[in-house]
Amino acid sequence: MTGKKEGQGLSDSVRDRGPQNDARSNSAQGGVCGSDARSNGAQGGVCGSDARSNGARGSSAQGDARGIGVRSNSARGIGAQGIDRRSFIKATSATALALAGLSAPGCSPQEKASEVGQDVALPDPDEQGEWVPVACWHNCGGRCLNKALVKDGLVIRQKTDDTCSDEGGAYFQNRACPRGRSQQQQCYGTDRLKYPMKRKGWKPGGGANSNGHLRGTDEWERISWDEALDYIASEMRCIYEGYGPRAVFHNGGPGYGIGNVLNSLGGAVSSSSTESYGAWRLYNVEMGQNFVNSNPDMESANDRFDLVNADTIVLYGCNPAWASAGSPSWFYKQAADAGVRFVYVGPSRNVSASMLDARWIPVRPGTDTAFLLAVAFVMIEQGYIDQEFLDKYTVGFDAAHMPEDAVLEENFKDYVLGSYDGIQKDPAWASGICGTTIEDIEWFAQAMAKENNVMLLHSYAAARCNGAENLPQLFMTIGAMGGHMGRSGNATGCTYYYESANSGPRLVRMSYPVDGYVPGKVDDVLCGPVQWKSIVEGSYDYAGGMYSVGASFPPMERRSIDIKMIYSVLNNFTQSRMDINNAIKAHQKMEFVVAQDYKLSLSCQLADIVLPITTEWEGWIADTWHLVTWMNRETQYFYTPVLEEGLFEAKPDRFVAQELAKRLDIDPAPLFPATHKQMYFDQIAGTKVFVGGTLRNTPYGETAVPIELLAKPDPDAPDPEVWEPLAAITQQDIDDFGVVGTPQEGKVPFKELMSKGVYQVGRQEGDGKGWIAYEDFIKDPLKYPRPSKSGKFEIYCQAKADGLNGIGFNPEPIKPYPHYLVPVEGYEASFIDWEAKIPGEYTFQMYTPHYIRRSHTTLDNLPWLQEAFENPVFMNATDAAERGIENGDTVLVSSKWGKILRHASLLQSVMPGCLGVPHGKRTDIDPATGIDRGGSENSLLGPVQSNYYPQLSGYNTCLVKVEKYLGEEIPPDHKVSFVADAQ
Amino acid sequence: MAKLGFYFDGTSCVGCKACQIACKDKNRIMVPGNRYRAVESYETGAYPLAFVYHFSGTCNHCEAPACMAACPTGALFVAPDTTVQLDAKSCTGCKQCLAACPYGHPQFFEEAGTAGKCDACIALRNAGRNPVCVDACPMRAIDFGDLDKLEARYAGQGASGATASAKAVTPQGVTTYAALPCWPDGGTAPKLVIKAKDCMGEEGFRHVIL
Repeated sequence: MTGKKEGQGLSDSVRDRGPQNDARSNSAQGGVCGSDARSNGAQGGVCGSDARSNGARGSSAQGDARGIGVRSNSARGIGAQGIDRRSFIKATSATALALAGLSAPGCSPQEKASEVGQDVALPDPDEQGEWVPVACWHNCGGRCLNKALVKDGLVIRQKTDDTCSDEGGAYFQNRACPRGRSQQQQCYGTDRLKYPMKRKGWKPGGGANSNGHLRGTDEWERISWDEALDYIASEMRCIYEGYGPRAVFHNGGPGYGIGNVLNSLGGAVSSSSTESYGAWRLYNVEMGQNFVNSNPDMESANDRFDLVNADTIVLYGCNPAWASAGSPSWFYKQAADAGVRFVYVGPSRNVSASMLDARWIPVRPGTDTAFLLAVAFVMIEQGYIDQEFLDKYTVGFDAAHMPEDAVLEENFKDYVLGSYDGIQKDPAWASGICGTTIEDIEWFAQAMAKENNVMLLHSYAAARCNGAENLPQLFMTIGAMGGHMGRSGNATGCTYYYESANSGPRLVRMSYPVDGYVPGKVDDVLCGPVQWKSIVEGSYDYAGGMYSVGASFPPMERRSIDIKMIYSVLNNFTQSRMDINNAIKAHQKMEFVVAQDYKLSLSCQLADIVLPITTEWEGWIADTWHLVTWMNRETQYFYTPVLEEGLFEAKPDRFVAQELAKRLDIDPAPLFPATHKQMYFDQIAGTKVFVGGTLRNTPYGETAVPIELLAKPDPDAPDPEVWEPLAAITQQDIDDFGVVGTPQEGKVPFKELMSKGVYQVGRQEGDGKGWIAYEDFIKDPLKYPRPSKSGKFEIYCQAKADGLNGIGFNPEPIKPYPHYLVPVEGYEASFIDWEAKIPGEYTFQMYTPHYIRRSHTTLDNLPWLQEAFENPVFMNATDAAERGIENGDTVLVSSKWGKILRHASLLQSVMPGCLGVPHGKRTDIDPATGIDRGGSENSLLGPVQSNYYPQLSGYNTCLVKVEKYLGEEIPPDHKVSFVADAQ
Repeated sequence: MAKLGFYFDGTSCVGCKACQIACKDKNRIMVPGNRYRAVESYETGAYPLAFVYHFSGTCNHCEAPACMAACPTGALFVAPDTTVQLDAKSCTGCKQCLAACPYGHPQFFEEAGTAGKCDACIALRNAGRNPVCVDACPMRAIDFGDLDKLEARYAGQGASGATASAKAVTPQGVTTYAALPCWPDGGTAPKLVIKAKDCMGEEGFRHVIL
């Protein structure tokens, strides 16, 4: 994650350095680095590197470079994604064979069918190759078993989990979603970045040499790895020496070592956003909730075996079929078949709700706090509340149960009843805001009553809204009012991502990779929602780093910031964060931009040098979250790469970091103490299985720590957890794997784990491996207090109010209890005059669902997925009819900040006035009009901040208008490819 | 002998299209446009009582296959296991089968100039395994086998009494179907068992883009 505070103490003298551009263009005065080299654009800036030996491959040698191919609008499109197949293979002779078998319809169905004849006895086609358990590493919410049939180094088919039987329920096949099934088209896609490239219009040396205005539309030329690395090292050296580390923006994650390189040079400016978690990222521990594996409110619902014990399961803004694809929907279906009633709350009745026949409670985006306040009102009025539970396990519900540290003499109940502002938060009040009918509000409140067994489960979608700062606390309050915590059939918490439908501490845990770490010395953290605007404008409000448990925010402070270089790595934040229009301006303002990826992401398109990176099918990689932690609690996966080396000229991120370190006189040894293969082996050797004792919450806090701490038994627990090593490893295993290590005893032989690719913990009812969240606290609140100051769930939380008010972002103090905030760019703002209900120009509320076609911005470019999911925008069919829009029409969606084109999908399952724009689509700006034909939601989202927390990204609060587009229709996405070729 | 066909559970399908993609993968259909198994989504009702459902359709391996009847070269035939197969070597690419199939199943491949169709993964089945779509479905909504056994297995498992346009009368009662409004009976004796929910039986369905 970004935004970690990494020390203090940036020298202001660096920041306030003189006329930088002049210094940089005048090598004699600049004196910052190898000036002669820098003044020689053709040779690139080399700074004492010996890597110029192949300088002969300079720009002129690639003079025939074709265009950037940013948008190849090809009707051809067949498998080759708009590239001429012959030239493609020619260009990549080393892997031509692989591609012939993979990305083209080479092994045609006709050939296969022709084998049938009258004799249907065919050989087993699987005998043609070997099944390899491969990595499926995306930030998708799934984490399923993915296997590739490999023949002669080629992948000829994929399959998913067939390592166990579903019968009996002890084990389940963790079957992969369509994204994982399509992964061969990612790894072997013809749109891979194949070799390092340099933008034609860019020359080293900074200043006017950059020709920054051409970023995004320039042409590319192929360069060698040595040239690319030399250029980057030289530019980095000059910028660090000339401007200091505050001039460098680290756009993305640590990047397997790049972060360490930047930090070794003094650090870099980062940015912070609440991203996935929305307002749940804030003070949820102080309110008494969990914070596990960097995710707030996890392990707060019950495990899959307990789902059937609920009367009602509420999926609050959840869409597991798209956002946690794979097994979770199947777990929920089993509960539905067993008679559990499902309820879905959100702006559209999504595919998960439809499959589960859930009762739909429509609520407008960003208005959930109003809805739930009215639910609370009805629960109080109708006597649905569990007063005993509230008295014993919470503070702040009413005046008689205030926490000791309360400074405001107000409580939640009296707020709801209108004692402070004269407004009863009744269904009539809420309905006008949230759009939910009074009948639905009353029905929902009754369903939450203490007599019922209720699982009130949320994703974070409703909290990814401006003005959602109080939603997590209110959600917890509703659950507590019904007493729906700590008992079988009852839960109030998160069902999300790898914990979807199966919450609880993981039962098999791989150890974390141990790698070098260098802290940075720059404390500047831009606020995600306005990060690009801040860079464009040269100043920002410093509001501390990302919230972490126990942290307090400093008062906001205006700072100047003069970014000269962007390093984009690992994440594709340029695409995935708000305000792409300013992102483009920010990039064009730079002296130097470098990006690395395996395809031409938007981050790459806006760069000067792009580096081709391997996928996780090419070579070993030791990872923290995606391959280790973020998976179903009963499973652990063990992948094997398909290829030992990268396709084309692709190299791992780590290679880049190591090579840059060398060129920048940084000792790589402490940064990269072991190979990734060795690190991965160590992780496997450190994998442990829960075998007995009483399972407890994983300890709080960020958990990028060795497993010994994660699995550390509670010394005071009467029945401490017992963990045993999983892998039985012999010296022969170690030698065969080509690593160093120590033989060990374990439950499963090493080679069996690696060939099977998965270890799954067998489960059965009452096996002691289940999970009832908060059970310990409910049974013994004094012995097992919650981590809040009071030790209870804080419906009045002084820490929340003090923390947020301490930032000083909003002069009107937020209350310690959950009260309604009128969201910035929310429903109310769609009216010029709210009281008179006079609508403004932008009358639609955009929401941004996670889309099954991709994982955030990844996998969006695969032909199978593009064919399967067309990425329309979803709108209410009646709204569409009023605007003359028919199903499939191209529509123009506009906000104050930008415009996109997409096809319209008309549904009656979308609330009137709402528009669903799927998250993560690749931007495709039409230079003539500035319209994003790709349809990214972030082209519509502007530099807008929430009510109280400056880093809260309100992805689901944005006002737009929709109209039938009278210009040229947009083609299907599979006919538009983003290819950067310099052939 | 056993009549083989597919089973589809419309109460479980979430429209993820893992089956469609697994099918394209197995058959190496790398291009958009041709699908042997195609998932489509539909909606009935009006806000707020609107219902989305999905149908995953492929060759019905009909007992009276219209494709076979239309094929002038005999390239299409019923294999001994009762599945409908295509011998592409005998296919001249005349597209008569495409025109004849009431389900729009046979696919034409421009590059090869011939047709192709679902072979119900006959080679995999001969090796003792399931068609790939069956093993791909995260919701376990697809099965393949002896139609009588499929009906016996899945009938009475809570399928609703939808007013489908063509019902299969099972020994257990009317709980499975061979056709739906979105997948009407083509008069070819389709070998297909469907478990449906109420909304799938409504005639006023709309095709939707998801």
